Amino acid sequence: MKERIQRLQDEALSALQQSADLKDLQNVRVRILGKKGELTEIMKGMRDLSPEERPLVGSLVNTLKDEFEAAFTERQNALQQEAISARLESEKIDVTLPGRKQITGSLHPVTLVTNEIVDIFSRLGFSVEEGPEIEQDFYNFEALNIPKDHPARDMQDTFYISEDLVLRTHTSPVQIRTMLKNKPPVRVIAPGTVYRRDSDLTHSPMFHQIEGFLVDKHVTFGDLKGILTHFLNEFFGEGLGVRFRPSFFPFTEPSAEVDIACVICGGKGCRVCKSTGWLEILGCGMIDPAVFNSVDYDPAEFSGFAFGMGLERIAMLKYTVNDFRLFFENDLRFLKQF
Amino acid sequence: MIVTYNWLKEFVDFDYSPQELCDRLTMVGLEVDALDEVGGGLGSVVVAKLESVERHPDADKLTVCQVNNGTEVLQVVCGAPNHKTGDYVAFAQIGSVLPGDFKIKKSKIRGQESNGMLCSEKELGLSDESAGIMILSDNLKLGQPVFEALEISDHKIEIGLTPNRPDCLSIVGVAREVAALCDAKLKLPAPEIKESNSPISERTSVIIENSDGCPRYAARMIDGVKIGPSPEWMVRRLEAVGMRSINNVVDVTNYVMMELGHPLHAFDFRYLEDGRIVVKSAAEGDKFVTLDDQEHTLSAEDLMICDGQRPVAMAGVMGGQNSEVQDDTSTVLLEAAYFKPTSIRRTSKRHGLHTESSHRFERGADIDMIPVALDRAASLIAELGDGEILSGVIDNYPAVLEPLSIELRREKVVELLDVDLDKETIQVLLESIGLDVRSGTTSDSLLVNVPSFRPDLEREVDLIEEVARLYGYERIPVTMPTGTVDAKLPPQRQVVQRQLRHLMVETGFSEAMNYSFIAVDSMKKIGLAEDDARYLHVPIMNPLSEDQAVMRTSLVPSLLETVARNLNYRSHDLRLFELRPVFLSDGDHQNCKERLTLTAVLSGRREPEGWAQSQGTVDFFDMKGVVERLFDSMYIDDVVYDAGQTEPYFHPGKSCALKVGKDIVGYAGEVHPQVLSGFDIDQPVYLFEVDVERLVSLSGDHACFKPLSRFPDVIRDSALLLDEQVTAADVMTIIKRAKLKSVEGVTLFDLYTGKGVPDGKKSLAIRVRYRDLERTLTEAEVNKFHDKLIRSLCHQLGAEIR
Repeated sequence: MKERIQRLQDEALSALQQSADLKDLQNVRVRILGKKGELTEIMKGMRDLSPEERPLVGSLVNTLKDEFEAAFTERQNALQQEAISARLESEKIDVTLPGRKQITGSLHPVTLVTNEIVDIFSRLGFSVEEGPEIEQDFYNFEALNIPKDHPARDMQDTFYISEDLVLRTHTSPVQIRTMLKNKPPVRVIAPGTVYRRDSDLTHSPMFHQIEGFLVDKHVTFGDLKGILTHFLNEFFGEGLGVRFRPSFFPFTEPSAEVDIACVICGGKGCRVCKSTGWLEILGCGMIDPAVFNSVDYDPAEFSGFAFGMGLERIAMLKYTVNDFRLFFENDLRFLKQF
Repeated sequence: MIVTYNWLKEFVDFDYSPQELCDRLTMVGLEVDALDEVGGGLGSVVVAKLESVERHPDADKLTVCQVNNGTEVLQVVCGAPNHKTGDYVAFAQIGSVLPGDFKIKKSKIRGQESNGMLCSEKELGLSDESAGIMILSDNLKLGQPVFEALEISDHKIEIGLTPNRPDCLSIVGVAREVAALCDAKLKLPAPEIKESNSPISERTSVIIENSDGCPRYAARMIDGVKIGPSPEWMVRRLEAVGMRSINNVVDVTNYVMMELGHPLHAFDFRYLEDGRIVVKSAAEGDKFVTLDDQEHTLSAEDLMICDGQRPVAMAGVMGGQNSEVQDDTSTVLLEAAYFKPTSIRRTSKRHGLHTESSHRFERGADIDMIPVALDRAASLIAELGDGEILSGVIDNYPAVLEPLSIELRREKVVELLDVDLDKETIQVLLESIGLDVRSGTTSDSLLVNVPSFRPDLEREVDLIEEVARLYGYERIPVTMPTGTVDAKLPPQRQVVQRQLRHLMVETGFSEAMNYSFIAVDSMKKIGLAEDDARYLHVPIMNPLSEDQAVMRTSLVPSLLETVARNLNYRSHDLRLFELRPVFLSDGDHQNCKERLTLTAVLSGRREPEGWAQSQGTVDFFDMKGVVERLFDSMYIDDVVYDAGQTEPYFHPGKSCALKVGKDIVGYAGEVHPQVLSGFDIDQPVYLFEVDVERLVSLSGDHACFKPLSRFPDVIRDSALLLDEQVTAADVMTIIKRAKLKSVEGVTLFDLYTGKGVPDGKKSLAIRVRYRDLERTLTEAEVNKFHDKLIRSLCHQLGAEIR
């Protein structure tokens, strides 16, 4: 009997090992432990054994049963693992195939820089204002200290609608409109479309500007430098070289042009900065008392500064766009890059 | 304004290199646009001697020259007609790069080796034309760079002057700034005048009839002048600053204008009727021919220089043909005057004549410079033309202009600039540019007398700017404003604009920006009826082209052009939008309305091209999905898609008005194929447009929460057999009208026509989800609700259940 058990054990374990798949394995189990399984037969035959033999054989049978079960589970796990691995192997895909594309839209680069600039100034407490694009001569010129017959009018080639209506040549009329509406203190940023009668490689008859101004008691030229330096560092990056140099605008006094270290060559000199290492980026100045007079602010009580910049130029520098005309051609190959 | 480095050095001593000088000028407000070396990069063009000149064996018009450059003798083939053995010439050696990026290489010309080129003035950029190669004086050193040898090495500095600085429209003016920069003294010319015994007053007179337009008129006369070419140095200088040499007399007037900034005019005295000058306004309608051969019809507002009978010059703008200096002129009347800037500007604009002279007068010339400029020019004319200056000057200056005095308070300087400058420092700064500064009325103020060359300085703040400029903007501290911040939330109009842009981008659209002006026939091109208000454009008086003649009343034409352009670029899958104003005229344009409009187009594939993407193309419902999402995002419900109202540029069966209540807020549809073909577009395009101003007023500002039910839902599907004319909106309206509290949602999930559905009918499948907030609905209840719903549909729409 003992030998029979021993033989069965060897046979059973080796059958488990040799089973090729889960079904095979199940068959082995039935052959050993099923209703008519060999071990079941042995156990059935136990009642014929002598009382002395019975515990001995019983213990052998139990051991066999335990070992078989353990081996079965182990083999089952192994086969299951194999089966999963095989399935996964068969499901392999080429992960280098491109993904299912989502439709993606894009904001115009001018909108992108406008939003960015507006957000920077909003954090400095500036509110956004807008004004009409068809503008009265008074707001576009007269009130900004640019009288008729003044050579300063030559600085901006103008589209006329009528004798006293123009397509605004800058966003500065928003200064006048805002100041006529509100008393100081004011902090305003005003993006918008502007027009100049000029069209060539570097000029477009329509483009965009953003205007900013701040009026309060005791505003100084140092404050102008502070706000703009802060803005330029936020926009182009900390540590950017910034310089202010004297210039002229009829509506500011003193006036300044602001240059930044060339973002293309880092100030070493290149074609974009015409080898100067500097790029002109915006015009600004302390608001001229004549402008305050035209909006009924008392220049003895208040002072302020204003600045304006071309948004296409900013976008060109930020995204290194090399052709001004691309902004208005609306070529999707261009628009989709932003 | 162009100045040259060497010319500046005549008036001020400075040590700056040309580049340094440019940097300094830029930082003091005279922005340098360009610095060019005269003869820059031409170091390898050297003085050489022609040891022999022989005819080319195979070409009549060419010569073969042996050229000695001081170290070796090289063979050069030359095509010029004017050289001979022994001539000294300008020799461009191998490797030279001449103006125009012309590289000199070793070559063979008709079989003869040529090792360089003999140059003409034109080839060296020294003049516009030349008849042959440059023949140089034979006392020059062989091998020396030509520009060095001729002492014409110089640097041209082009300054982009702002209109407030007429004083710097001259060499002396710029030199004054340089003197201030390096703390040097400005050396003004003090012309020596040798006069004859004959007094000018016996020969001519000047009467100013319009002293408002001409506050001062001075004249000198030079007799026995021989007209001829100007000396080389003067020609070169004039060319360097951008002026062409005419003859010695005209050149002197131009030279002195460039040097001192004051425009002058020379008359041939022979042609001045009655031998005198009268300054007066023109007679309206008179004709006048200027030096450039143009005839002008004069206005009574034009200030003219006349002789005893007729106009002889357009004051301050251009001389007349009838009195110009000619080859045989011998008596010259030289004018130096001051004209009122606005008068000159108007005349210059009226006649389209912008000259060096008008440019200076309209910005404000220096009235005190008149005698200096007159003497300087007279002495130069006498010298170069071998003439005699008559004794005396006619100087008609009826009301002498007193210099303006401005009080400058130190505290104002400190207040505006935030720099604690003392009075003495301010005084030194202002004196450095030639201002006369004295003590002011208080212990802390200065009195500044403004010289006549700075007409831009009129107010205290103008002086503060000068202080800031001369002190240096870079030395002013960087501070932050300390005042009150009263930032408001952005107005709803701006919020909505941003939201709409982001929504469009999320749904796959790219933002376009087209010009606001379009061609006048654009509205016809999109098929609008003749009486459509959108034909009422705001026109531009001075458009750049016919294509940009009027302000657009619709974004549709521009966007269709954008579609066509992209198709040309072979982009076929298009989703574009534009969010910009249209300009609606009110007739006389005084109250034009600018209405923000969102217009979007979509065309081509529904999904991007790809191995795993569907191949379908977009249709009306792709677009409608975007429109629905747009209204949802603005929290606008109850949008009606009314097929009964549409625009002529749409397919009449695939378009509708977008209505909120009774208001039309936009349109959507497939673009009419005829309109598309007008734009050369050969694929269907879907377009919608929304009046953003209306959206702003209709939009809700936030979502409104609806409570969630915790009970299970029950779903009932029904397929309705309907007449084809019955719309989905009809079905939804009836379901809505049934007002069943437990209907949580209705989906139209299938539309079918074809086999099994009779002609003229369609099958529409609806899925109704029932759920109650308070309890679980029983089967019986749901059946009751659904039966009721279906009965209404059957009864009111003639629907049958399939």
